[in-house]
Amino acid sequence: MISLRHGRVSIALHPLREGAGPALLCLHAVGGSARDFREAAQLWSGPVFALDFSGHGDSGPLRGGGYFPENLAGDADAALARIGPALLVGAGIGAYVALLLAGGRPDAVPAALLLPGAGLEGGGPAPDPSVNTLARWADFGAPLPGCDPAVRRLERDVRPPEYAEAFARAAGRLLLAEGDFRQPAWWQAVRATPTATPVPGDLAGGLAHLATLTPD
Amino acid sequence: MSEPHYPGAVAPERSRFFASDGVRLRVDAWGDPSAAPVVLLHGAFDHGRGFDLLAPLLATRFHVLSLTSRGHGDSEWVDCYAWQNDVGDAVNLLRSLGRPAHLVGHSRGGGQATDAALWAPECVRRLVNIDGFGPPPEGFAPPGVPVDPRPPPPRFRDYLDRRRRAGERAWRPYPSLEDLVERRREQNPRLSREWLRYFLHHGAREIEGGWVWKTDPEFAGGFGPWRPEWIGPGWRGLRMPMLAMVGTEPDTWRLDEAVASERLAFVPELARAEVAGAGHFVHMERPRETADVLLAFLEP
Repeated sequence: MISLRHGRVSIALHPLREGAGPALLCLHAVGGSARDFREAAQLWSGPVFALDFSGHGDSGPLRGGGYFPENLAGDADAALARIGPALLVGAGIGAYVALLLAGGRPDAVPAALLLPGAGLEGGGPAPDPSVNTLARWADFGAPLPGCDPAVRRLERDVRPPEYAEAFARAAGRLLLAEGDFRQPAWWQAVRATPTATPVPGDLAGGLAHLATLTPD
Repeated sequence: MSEPHYPGAVAPERSRFFASDGVRLRVDAWGDPSAAPVVLLHGAFDHGRGFDLLAPLLATRFHVLSLTSRGHGDSEWVDCYAWQNDVGDAVNLLRSLGRPAHLVGHSRGGGQATDAALWAPECVRRLVNIDGFGPPPEGFAPPGVPVDPRPPPPRFRDYLDRRRRAGERAWRPYPSLEDLVERRREQNPRLSREWLRYFLHHGAREIEGGWVWKTDPEFAGGFGPWRPEWIGPGWRGLRMPMLAMVGTEPDTWRLDEAVASERLAFVPELARAEVAGAGHFVHMERPRETADVLLAFLEP
């Protein structure tokens, strides 16, 4: 395990496999950890790394409970700073974070595979003035095993489709899993951009497509 | 350096720390603890002692509590700053009082007070928002800081670059408190040097090599999909009377009246008050007049 720093927080990066070729960085869903991607090591020929986001796995919690996708993107960006350019695969909140990084650092992230999982939907496309949005954000319900209880706030942040679309348009290539899951408005907006391609909804199928995008 | 004095400024009678979401926050108090409570929320880059002029005037009738928000003054620093967390801290303080309180906020604290009143209406009797109706659609333009017209992705890249240096950053020490006073006056030229000397003495600390802000250098470096048009519509849900208070004088940090009225039109039970001769820092510039308006609006 490699211990990284993001601000004052210790972030765990797990090398899952060594190899030649493009590196793969795996980003888990809300409540998950690097362990969710053990299978990826058998499916990719290059080096494979998996991150524990803050509040998850072997990474430290965020003092004060301010969990937001943009801050988690900073966790993953600390990994990019260490390992260099990489392809991303993300599930749930990890998919949304992968989108932000692919759009924000297209030179470091030539392509990303977005998979469903916990934290994919967030808190909807805009605040709903008819509900107590803030109380809902704070009162996040049951803690997830092995996680800071406040990570469930990553299921409540607002995700406007036009915001996601701006990141999709700035990104290299995005592969979006197809399957039987509810696609939030941000996902549909990303799916409609020219940079996005639908792929089979499982990790193996998605990684097979991702491999075809990269020179050997 | 000995503590400066300022005419009318009264140090808190009691101070304590209060844990919210595991974060140690400073609460300063004035007045009879058995009197009806009033909670005060300060603005960004300020701290709870900015109410040293207003609080004693309200304390003639109320138990006044001033919360210093996370990352500011003597309150603890956190790893990620977000509006929602500050509002949650205010709600946690209100809930800890065991009885409903009046809630007063200035600038960012005014917006957060409004959101706290929406979040926990059972805790808030009456709400006062002092010039905290959000930034204009194009953002505030402080002197020397141009508005960034770029779309989110390149600005997010800058955010990521800042986060790569986060944790290493520290404020540059200013040789003396006087230098901090001059720096702050560039942002708030309406505030007198004498007051800023008092205010910043509590908002900065002396270290080897000079004076530094107490505010976390990582504060205000956030990023997210927030939009100005989200302000306002949610205020329809306010269940208590709200007093919207502004000064009459032009100020970089004062929201244009046309934009403010558009947002305030959503408030079901709205009162308005103007304080003559004040800019954005109404309670610091005209504490007596501010207190008179508040004492008339807030029921004992």
